[in-house]
Amino acid sequence: MLETLPQIIENSARSHPEREAFRFGSKALAYSELEHRMHQLADHLIRIGVKKGDRVGVYMNRCIETAIAIYGIMRAGGVYVPLDAMTPHSRTLFLLKDCSIAHIVSTRSQKKRLTSLLTDTMVVESVIGVTLDLNIKSISWDNLFENNLENYQPVAIGPDDLAYIMYTSGSTGPPKGIMHTHFSGLSYARLSADLYGVHHLDRFASHAPLHFDISTFGFFTVPYAGATSIILSDAHVKMPFSLAQLLEKEQITIWYSVPLALIQLLQGGFLEQKDLKSIRWVLFGGENFALKYLKTFTKLWPHATFCNVYGPAEVNQCTYHNVVPDDLNSNIPIGEVWSDTSFKIMDKNYKEVDDGITGQLLIQSVTMMRGYWNNDALTKKSTYIEKVTPTKNNIYYCTGDMVYKNEYGKLVFVGRNDRQVKIRGYRIEMNEVESILLRHEGVQEAAVFVIEKEEGVKILAAALLLFPLFDIDSKMMTKFCRGLLPQHSIPTMIEVLPYFPRTSSGKIDRPTLLNRITDKLIDA
Amino acid sequence: MEQILKDFIREQLANGTLEEEIDIEDDLLGSGIVDSLGITRLILFIENEFGIKIPPEDMLIENFMTVGHILDYLSRRKQ
Repeated sequence: MLETLPQIIENSARSHPEREAFRFGSKALAYSELEHRMHQLADHLIRIGVKKGDRVGVYMNRCIETAIAIYGIMRAGGVYVPLDAMTPHSRTLFLLKDCSIAHIVSTRSQKKRLTSLLTDTMVVESVIGVTLDLNIKSISWDNLFENNLENYQPVAIGPDDLAYIMYTSGSTGPPKGIMHTHFSGLSYARLSADLYGVHHLDRFASHAPLHFDISTFGFFTVPYAGATSIILSDAHVKMPFSLAQLLEKEQITIWYSVPLALIQLLQGGFLEQKDLKSIRWVLFGGENFALKYLKTFTKLWPHATFCNVYGPAEVNQCTYHNVVPDDLNSNIPIGEVWSDTSFKIMDKNYKEVDDGITGQLLIQSVTMMRGYWNNDALTKKSTYIEKVTPTKNNIYYCTGDMVYKNEYGKLVFVGRNDRQVKIRGYRIEMNEVESILLRHEGVQEAAVFVIEKEEGVKILAAALLLFPLFDIDSKMMTKFCRGLLPQHSIPTMIEVLPYFPRTSSGKIDRPTLLNRITDKLIDA
Repeated sequence: MEQILKDFIREQLANGTLEEEIDIEDDLLGSGIVDSLGITRLILFIENEFGIKIPPEDMLIENFMTVGHILDYLSRRKQ
């Protein structure tokens, strides 16, 4: 029985030492090799003073050393904190201070950025993976791998110890650090490996960057099942045509990403020439998958099962729905909760609602976080405690997502609880407006916002991204909406943009998009 | 041509986070100088600036990895 995440690697290294755990381009790491390097890094971290519960940053682009970094940190009793190397320094500095990170694990290709990040920063004492010309201790991977583990004293770690902290942006306020334990991380690995029947022959395309919560599938679930994770390079993620070639070459069996990554793969009709009969699971989550694309994919890969995955980072995954043909005409449900998980749908007063009525989704699960780092008030605010008996409580995470249960008992996602607005007294569901705009054959993506035009005057605005060769203006779009939406729900301002700003995980960057639209309104 | 590309990448795509000049051999895609939205903008920029159309099948790592690769690609397209 496994109790901690590093035991995943120790266990798989025992049963099949030679099998590839991770692959990145031409570099590969067998399970036995990964185990050895995990201990080498753990030993180094212990020697330089990392104590159980200390936070250690991982500042990397996608690379094979990521696997060594996270398992080495956890094996030393440390808590890994993914740091997005693409994010502005101000945010990274905030994270470094917020959870007092004294050590960073990195890689040679981040030398320039890391140097500019750490110049004038006093918090970081040492860097592993790249030698810097700064007054900070640093060691390269090559030197670290010379460690012969003499006098190595492994640290005892347990299921309740912290394993990692992931920061989410949140639409308002400073980033929040979501704390996961070995127990919650391992529970996710076990539940996801069981649900998708992941086995040792599977080859998973690891697309998500480490700071995006779904990266745990590639880094925990796949090694848990003794399978192989193929870490896609940053270059491949940006170049869909190269990516399609790679997927064919590696004969990928499981894919997991936001819908956008799949949509980009479709463009140009390049994917149709690729032989991807190997693919058996396509997992998607994070955003709605526009039906017209999903249809194209189910035709292109009829041998694959498409699964709509839902779960805020606070609980990892918690629901799933395997797409069936009937779904392709409506809103795809987020489905039902998986094992060892229960849910409630509640109204504003925390009373459970009847079937078919929309309310907030609350989740109780073995995969749930410990809480937010250094923020008990927020942890308390986002949990709901149900008294079962005088001595037993059930703790639920309040997702802030509005759902209802449909006639088949499946959960349907309606939107964030902050996506319903009132304009001139009319209640407007912004998600509904977006789904109507998307019905137009020329619209690739749509985002709807409320803009305060002047004090007290709110208007509904929409940003559209069109398919190539379509030429649609706001007049045509307004006309299109007329038969489908009540007058008050038709956006007053419709802007066609050449591209949408994105977050590093590929979702629409709504705050930036809102600013851009607001600027246009002021210019006009 | 080289300078136009370097300036655009440095000023428009790198978010002002790059202290040094961009080198002709800097890995734009792998090291994170340009993000995925940036690559879309870079392609639009090249199409407008140099008056060519870049078909989807040319959007490969080997054509866009560094400023050097882009220059090679553009000179091949001119022939």
